[in-house]
Amino acid sequence: MLSCALALASCSGVQSALDPAGGDALRIYWLAVIMTVGATLIFFAVTGLLLYAIFAPPERRAWLGGRNTIVYGGLAFPIVVLSMLLPYGLIVMRDTDVRMPGALPIEVVGEQYWWRVRYPGEDERPAFSTANEIVIPVGRPIAVSVTAADVIHSFWIPNFGGKIDMIPGRVNSLNFTAERPGIYRGVCAEFCGDQHARMAFDVVALEPSAFEAWRTNQAKPAPEPDLPQLVRGRELFRTGGCGSCHVVRGTEANGLFGPDLTHVGSRRTIGAGQFPNNVGTLAGWIANTQHIKPGVRMPSYGSFTGEDLRALAGYLESLK
Amino acid sequence: MTALRTGQVLLMLAGLIAWALQFLLIYGATSTLCGREWADATFLGLGVVQASILIATVTALAATAAAFAWSLRGYRSAEARPVSAADRFMVQSAALVNGFSLIVILWQGIPAFILPACA
Repeated sequence: MLSCALALASCSGVQSALDPAGGDALRIYWLAVIMTVGATLIFFAVTGLLLYAIFAPPERRAWLGGRNTIVYGGLAFPIVVLSMLLPYGLIVMRDTDVRMPGALPIEVVGEQYWWRVRYPGEDERPAFSTANEIVIPVGRPIAVSVTAADVIHSFWIPNFGGKIDMIPGRVNSLNFTAERPGIYRGVCAEFCGDQHARMAFDVVALEPSAFEAWRTNQAKPAPEPDLPQLVRGRELFRTGGCGSCHVVRGTEANGLFGPDLTHVGSRRTIGAGQFPNNVGTLAGWIANTQHIKPGVRMPSYGSFTGEDLRALAGYLESLK
Repeated sequence: MTALRTGQVLLMLAGLIAWALQFLLIYGATSTLCGREWADATFLGLGVVQASILIATVTALAATAAAFAWSLRGYRSAEARPVSAADRFMVQSAALVNGFSLIVILWQGIPAFILPACA
């Protein structure tokens, strides 16, 4: 019962190859369904014949050892099945992950244990960077270029298609199109270190107009804080040395080591898909990074007082 | 090993050897041509990668078809007259292995005409 429930639970959701949200994922899904159903039927047929060969009376099971059974069942059948599956699989491979004209380019770099995301400039639209979240327009092909900064990672959004390795010094590409709006989840699919399992990201598929609005906002510098506590938070961000590792465009923070925080408050999650993004989780993350996700490059800043933490986290949360 | 047995073994292995050579040629040609960025070059109107695979496949198929025909002849001959169990096994195996080799050589050539040359 429990195994059935667990199996059915994986048939839908934000991170399921069994719930395709794009044409590429749908092709892979049908290939998997056909292979699984076919293999299951053949398995049961062969098992049935095996039991028949063991338990049936000798005169009734004699046909199993006949020449026709061996030639048609043992030779012709597998040859025909494999001869059909081979071109079908090759056609799926050919039609999947094809770069389409007019695709939206997105560059993703895998780092232990987060995702650096860059949207290159396009026509009049300026380039900008973000992290741990990919926002895409529905209906427009997406061309993701991936690489890695340290060790091999793998980029996989199960609802949209196959996975692609992220290899230091090499740029690989993955192409897909989202066909329905929604929030999906991508993961690192190649063991990359202690916190590999905590290296995820959100994929937000928006209608084209909403995507353009998001893109326009992301390209802007960080908003100025408008409350005294947020001003204090920005000052703590500056004096705490956060800008050595993080960029906040429009301020003097220009570090490139960690995620771009210009619009960190607009992201759904923090810690590479680990917690919902709010003042509480941001404060907890800053104070206890090494406890929450041991081994990440960011040290725990446990020296902040509670009031300082709230101000700092409030400032970050205000960066919409 | 007698000359007859050596001939039987070689005949049985002929299709597998042709398959191995086709494999070597396909992988070698594809790696070399794609590595040198000659994927767009053509030969007789066909991409050079596809042309190489086609030539390797047709040659291997022709050699294996000849071995298959030869082994079928031996098989029919063995059916028509009394032979030892070992000889019967050898001629039957040769026909089977060469028949299978024809199929796998064909399978190995098919991707060249479905997938991009240097995908």
